[in-house]
Amino acid sequence: MKAEYVNSFYQATTDVFQLMLDLQAERGTLKLLEDMVLSKDASVILGVTGDLRGTILFTFPKDMVLEMVKIMSGMEMAEIDSFVSSAIGEVANIIGGNAVTILANHDYTCDIATPQVLIGEYKSLSVGNEKALLLPLITSIGEFEIALFLKEKQ
Amino acid sequence: MMWKEKYKIGVPLIDQQHEELFNRVSDFIQTVRQEGAWEAKLETIKATMAFMQEYVVVHFDEEEVYQAQINYPDLENHKQAHAKFKEAVNGYVNRLDQEGYSEELMQEFGGKLMAWLIMHVAATDQKIGEYVEAQGGKIE
Repeated sequence: MKAEYVNSFYQATTDVFQLMLDLQAERGTLKLLEDMVLSKDASVILGVTGDLRGTILFTFPKDMVLEMVKIMSGMEMAEIDSFVSSAIGEVANIIGGNAVTILANHDYTCDIATPQVLIGEYKSLSVGNEKALLLPLITSIGEFEIALFLKEKQ
Repeated sequence: MMWKEKYKIGVPLIDQQHEELFNRVSDFIQTVRQEGAWEAKLETIKATMAFMQEYVVVHFDEEEVYQAQINYPDLENHKQAHAKFKEAVNGYVNRLDQEGYSEELMQEFGGKLMAWLIMHVAATDQKIGEYVEAQGGKIE
């Protein structure tokens, strides 16, 4: 997996977090994964098609999700309900859309499928023989992760 | 309250409309999320939603007129962003009409609408302010 992929998603995430949430997202240490276990409370899955194919997975702890939606809405959120999961799915979708724009500048034409939000589901995503990259991001309201499973179209 | 001072772009006409739009969406979300029987709230929710839908169109039209007046270079892309926004809202309105005004679907719509509005105003519209500033900041 090339640095451009990771950097495009990292840049899109920091931009969107800054614009929509007034949060700075600092990059943690990149890890290599054999497969991915969804161990956090809320996950958003984005399918990628086009020159790059695969999946982008955002995983957030519950408190962070609630705080993110509180920052946007100005309202206290007690649990991850339809409103909260829809808002968080859309934030991830916007990040994906921005990443696609950045990737286009690197001559990769890609598309993002409608995000799928999973709440409190613990499951393992196998990625076959492919390795995935896990990018931890640190903000003042919590840490979350972006897992990238991408491969170039042959 | 959803509105933040940092969303201002420095053009009073647009800033006022944005603040109004945020207040409408905020009221809408608060009504949807309020305690109480869904059926009892439904009329208020429908009325708020109808008003908001109309206001979005009025605001986008006026913003486009303003952008044309100042020869805004990115007007076509901006119009497309507005068209997409309206299309997305209408998509939910159609779903609500067809599937019924369930609390679940309305909450989902509220979450999306909030994210769209923040992204549009906090990112896309800021470029109008930057352009006005670059032109000397005197365009009204």
